[in-house]
Amino acid sequence: MKQDKAFLILSLTLILILQPKSAYGMHIMEGFLPPIWSITWGLMALPFVIHGFFSLKKTIDEAPKLKLLIAMAGAFAFLLSALKIPSITGSSSHPTGTGLGAILFGPTIMSVLGMIVLIFQALLLGHGGLTTLGANTFSMAVVGPFVAYAVYVIIRKADGPQWLGVFLAAALGNLSTYTMTSIQLALAFPAELGGFIASLTKFMSIFALTQIPLSISEGILTVLVIKSIASYANVVIPSIQNIDEGA
Amino acid sequence: MINIDTFAYNSKLKDRDPMEKLLFTFVTLSVCLWANSIIISLTVLLIMTWSTIYGGGIPRTVYFKLLLIPMVFLIFGVLAVAIEITPQPYEFLGSISFFNFYLGVSKAGLITATQLFFRALGAVSCLYYLSLNTPMIDVMSALRKLRCPKLLVEMMSLIYRFIFIFITTAETMIIAQSSRLGYSRFMSGYRSLSLLISSIFIRSYQQADKIYTSLESRGYDGELNVLEKSKGYISTGYLKVLGINVFLVILTFII
Repeated sequence: MKQDKAFLILSLTLILILQPKSAYGMHIMEGFLPPIWSITWGLMALPFVIHGFFSLKKTIDEAPKLKLLIAMAGAFAFLLSALKIPSITGSSSHPTGTGLGAILFGPTIMSVLGMIVLIFQALLLGHGGLTTLGANTFSMAVVGPFVAYAVYVIIRKADGPQWLGVFLAAALGNLSTYTMTSIQLALAFPAELGGFIASLTKFMSIFALTQIPLSISEGILTVLVIKSIASYANVVIPSIQNIDEGA
Repeated sequence: MINIDTFAYNSKLKDRDPMEKLLFTFVTLSVCLWANSIIISLTVLLIMTWSTIYGGGIPRTVYFKLLLIPMVFLIFGVLAVAIEITPQPYEFLGSISFFNFYLGVSKAGLITATQLFFRALGAVSCLYYLSLNTPMIDVMSALRKLRCPKLLVEMMSLIYRFIFIFITTAETMIIAQSSRLGYSRFMSGYRSLSLLISSIFIRSYQQADKIYTSLESRGYDGELNVLEKSKGYISTGYLKVLGINVFLVILTFII
């Protein structure tokens, strides 16, 4: 009984102490994955990045003007990950920006941009790493944006309201990234008892503490952002077709 | 926020051949991951920390503060690897019963977790050696020499430029917003942040347009060519890289 209490107090203190910086937990840190998994996830992410690269090249060849715009989008995605979302407990967390990026620019281009942003995050901010770049690219620049985009398109096709589509896209994009990261960690470190599934439960429940509230706040934030971009969209940015005016 | 970049431009190793630093980082990183032993990881940590602090002249306090950045992930991750959750007792070194489950640490789990902890720490020191001593411009010129696709490197350099424009803009706006109590309450914080993000987005769209116009009026045809400062190529530097890593590999086999 005493031990139960001690454990509870310990875990609660840990949550409170670690909360402020917790959002960066999304990136697998440098050196955390064994070499075999670093290479595997690198190879998994590669086709998406190559495909994204060629579609980027095609876009730029057709309209050279878009090159600077896309570079701006990349810098924008980096900036998003460096901002803090205010939260109830007074701590702060950081948006991933995968949902917003996917809705605005489409998931294929996001895979290349996401990889570049991840390189900069590793080198300029110390989040993520070089050997885990493949794994992080796969979860944050491939799975997240594709899920977010699919959710958005499905809800819009079903005539759902725009805010619902944006909210679910951003929140589920964030959650799918976190699930993918947990799967990657569980595959690399299966539990002694119960193997992959037991390990997955462990990683999911550890990250769930921080990621479920975060994905909801990212969803809300993205809705607000899209709303205020949409009010300008037709005046300033005729090239954004995904957003309706006055949503 | 972007401290690392400032330190890279002030590092004493700044003018070294970037290829040598890249090679040193990647080879040592690979050896550290491949060896997966506590002693090798600590040796790597020691060598890299020494090279960064004494070789590069990075302030010690800054370096150790930077090492704390990945600590949250590291502690959570290592705990998750070390602690097993089972419905029935198992041969644990120590365990706590918690509702109907047993949380415990087994010997193998403990060994894996300790190895992992030091391996990741060693790897992070390799990453910091590169990022604290190599300005991003040099990394990109090295990538260009390594035949990285031209468009990709150019995209990187454009994004790198824009990041700093955005950060300055965002910082000014955050100061303006908070001086008007924009972040004083929870809901107003959300509103302020969403206004910040959307106005940066719109502004960047307009700015990209203007930059393109100004580039085109100066004869831009899709490529930005810059002259590169030639960096000192020292063959002893490469020998040092080779020597240290051969030493590490031999050490791995001896242990």
